[in-house]
Amino acid sequence: MSSETDCDESLTALLFGDPAAEAHVAACARCRAERAGVERARGLLAAAPEPVPPPGLAGRVLRAAAPLLARNARRATWPAVARALAAALVPLPLIAFFDWQIVRTAHAVLSRVLPDALSFYLVFNYAATLVLLLALTYAAVPILVERQARLRHQESHG
Amino acid sequence: MATDEALIAAVAGGDGSALAELYRRWERPLFRFIDRHTGGRDVEDLYQETWLRVVRAARRFDPERRFSTWLFQIALNLCRDWHRRPPPEPAEVDDVAATDAHVDAAIDARRLLAALPEPQRSAVILRYYHDLREDEVAAVLDCPRGTVKSRLHNAMRRLAALARR
Repeated sequence: MSSETDCDESLTALLFGDPAAEAHVAACARCRAERAGVERARGLLAAAPEPVPPPGLAGRVLRAAAPLLARNARRATWPAVARALAAALVPLPLIAFFDWQIVRTAHAVLSRVLPDALSFYLVFNYAATLVLLLALTYAAVPILVERQARLRHQESHG
Repeated sequence: MATDEALIAAVAGGDGSALAELYRRWERPLFRFIDRHTGGRDVEDLYQETWLRVVRAARRFDPERRFSTWLFQIALNLCRDWHRRPPPEPAEVDDVAATDAHVDAAIDARRLLAALPEPQRSAVILRYYHDLREDEVAAVLDCPRGTVKSRLHNAMRRLAALARR
């Protein structure tokens, strides 16, 4: 006598087209009684037309994904940008120290030969230019790293 | 040829050609899965959203897992959310019979699947139409293999009962 579990196993296998179920189903009275319903269900499932993606859908999906891909590409460069910035920041205290010494010396020299206000004005402009150049240099680091990553990616993908 | 898992890693780095290749490989299976799960409604929206989620979450993909399992899980979660929206799904068996005068002739695969509760429907679609093994179905549905077995047994009884009408 077959157990209910055996019958369920065999009838489910029959539904999914497993020929191994055939022996049990043929020999079991309970399964034979259920067979017609299961086979009809199988036939109905099999008769379903195969859904096909409509033309143009791929283009729409890939276009919609493009901004997300660009974001992924930017994010992928974040570790490299962080490393590059960290490396660039290492000499910054030394640069700041030497610049400060230059500014101080320049102010001392200029204030001997020029009115104090004018020497301060000149030294201030010089210091401001130095700060601006430093800021521009550090701002260029992420841009250069991303560009480098893009070029490497283009090279590796032909 | 690159594996799906290598391609999704490339997508995480913003590689459009890797996405196009993954898309080419999984375009039809994914479309079929969503179509059968929702009975052909809102398929294109869900399909597009699945791919967008794939791209968005590519960096979080666990390379130890199979891409196909992950892809079907994303689609399944979207389909489940969709089914929670009104009108409620699944249709009751009696409703299926009562709403159509030509019951015997009109019962088709979509109506059969729609009559199954969502967990059984997901298991049947993955097992029958995508030919996944029970352990693979269990991985997608994130449940033990025994649960998949019992869902398939229950689905088989229900489908056979419906088909006999």
